[in-house]
Amino acid sequence: MNILEKKKVPEFMAALAADYDLYGPIVHPDSKDVLFDRAADPGDIALQAPIPYNPAKIPFFPQRESILGYTYDRSTGDVRIAPADLVRPKALVGIRSCDLTGLLCLDRFFLGQEFVDDVFRDHRRKTFIVANTCVRPFPQCFCVCTDSGPSAREGFDINLTEAGDVYLVEAGSEKGEALVRKLELPAADEAQTALKDKIVDGSIALFDEVSRENKAWISRATNRLTTGFIRNEVWEYIGKQCFECGACAFTCPSCSCFNIEDLNGPDGTTDRCRTWDSCSFEGYTKMAGDHNPRRPVEDRRNKRFFCKLSYSQSRKYLRPGCVGCGRCVRVCPGDIGLPTVVTAIRREITE
Amino acid sequence: MNAKTETAIVTVPEIAVVDEIKDEIDEVKTFYFRFVDEAAGRNFRIRSGQFIMCTVFGAGEFAVSLPFSPENDRLHLSVRSVGKVTRALHDLKPGDKIGIRGPFGNGFPFEEIKGKNIIYVAGGIGLIPLRSSIVHVLQHRDEFGRILLLYGARTSKDLMYTYMIDKWLKTDGFETHIAIDNPEPGWTKHVGFVNTLVERAGIPVKDTVAFVCGPPVMFNAVIRDLLKRGLKDAHIISTLERHMKCGIGKCQHCAIGRTLVCTDGPVYTYKQIKTLGEQI
Repeated sequence: MNILEKKKVPEFMAALAADYDLYGPIVHPDSKDVLFDRAADPGDIALQAPIPYNPAKIPFFPQRESILGYTYDRSTGDVRIAPADLVRPKALVGIRSCDLTGLLCLDRFFLGQEFVDDVFRDHRRKTFIVANTCVRPFPQCFCVCTDSGPSAREGFDINLTEAGDVYLVEAGSEKGEALVRKLELPAADEAQTALKDKIVDGSIALFDEVSRENKAWISRATNRLTTGFIRNEVWEYIGKQCFECGACAFTCPSCSCFNIEDLNGPDGTTDRCRTWDSCSFEGYTKMAGDHNPRRPVEDRRNKRFFCKLSYSQSRKYLRPGCVGCGRCVRVCPGDIGLPTVVTAIRREITE
Repeated sequence: MNAKTETAIVTVPEIAVVDEIKDEIDEVKTFYFRFVDEAAGRNFRIRSGQFIMCTVFGAGEFAVSLPFSPENDRLHLSVRSVGKVTRALHDLKPGDKIGIRGPFGNGFPFEEIKGKNIIYVAGGIGLIPLRSSIVHVLQHRDEFGRILLLYGARTSKDLMYTYMIDKWLKTDGFETHIAIDNPEPGWTKHVGFVNTLVERAGIPVKDTVAFVCGPPVMFNAVIRDLLKRGLKDAHIISTLERHMKCGIGKCQHCAIGRTLVCTDGPVYTYKQIKTLGEQI
């Protein structure tokens, strides 16, 4: 473990900015909203800002991304296909453990199944990750329920933990160690090293107090979903609450559904774009000829929560598909964020 | 039923030329094609029951099951014009180019069903994905018992591949029973839904596997009648259709229950389908 003095943070950011585009939590100057975004200036990244509104998947899995380009001249028969190659090296700075866990879920899903997603792989190959231990939970957080926080255990190049005037620095990869050496960060003494566990324990203890409404003890719910039978009325209730806005999926760090469309430009080129999609949209499973095997709204809701709590275990992530960031709680106009649904399922068990 | 597809073209389509277009029935045309790059053509090896993603340049991509057999069969697609992209495909002329990704999916389990009788039950254009299997099985005639095709469509004009069925009938031990939904002048064969053929044809039950493909209503009726006749649910095989975008298990549009039609299917047994918990 090493030490980064707070006054040296700009130097740390500048060293990263030399090699990477920087992304991190940025406080909007007027509204004070925190958004995860590309930093025009390394100094814009606010390490201790509250959790951003949007998830950290954006640099790797943008809301809209060209995955292929082509031109076709029908008169001459000339076809030119070019795989998209727009990937720039990027550093994610100050992502919390929940968001990092979401990213590791996406890694497992996009890179670890039968087929590899080339586009996502290219993004991930050129990435540097600076994780940031959550020293205090926010009201919507429940990462302690989903085994994804408050401090990252894997998947980072550097992990920072705020401790008074300094950050405790842990390197998690060779790239991370190289940066520590380059900046000549001093080693932490024994007392400082021991501080890390205390800080994490303190953060967990605070959780009990701060996030009273959002505890989501999901292992029982997962068990019930996977092995048992949930009454239809539960899904109907959840379905009726849903506005089909898709906000839960779009703010979720581990949601990965997408649509693909060929968009023709005025210059005769076509972009094959992928865009985020959500299984809560009615058109999601609609087939040509208007047959829709998954029409009722409760059926679609059912799929989303099965995906998060049950199907994710079997193949996708080998852990719950929920990382406890609480964004779905914050954005859902129908109050069916994941904790509410877990509570509904658990209530059914006890009845 | 989940074998790796080693020859699949995963992200970037391979370019092919449409060299002949044949009108089949109303709204359905067959497109014969060849790959521009001969090496790509040689590497394009399919298993019967798989599907591809076909790009119509400037319009988009659609998933389509492969009707040709893995051996000695000309590459082609039979496609109904039913949405934006398939309409654009229907506007193509010979010489136009398309893009092909794949093949994807698991394919029919021929190794597991050697020596058995096979019944094909198809409704309308449901014969398209089964054609691949029929041609394959007829090419390996000695490996199977009785082979029956029960085929139905709305009207006589909606029957696909009738010219091929006539040819298949010349193969030893290939039987066909054909039906249309309503009487028509000059129609001498059976009238009634295709499931009524199950009873009428006196199908074998012991050591028999049924391949079923057609619209959902037909599918459910046929399954019910096959089970009533005593077929085991593990011996009823179907190829499912879903809205697909990526073909490689990422976009999730084709998720049914815990499975994805693009990588776990499209071929499922009825035993599996029963556990998926969704409409077909």
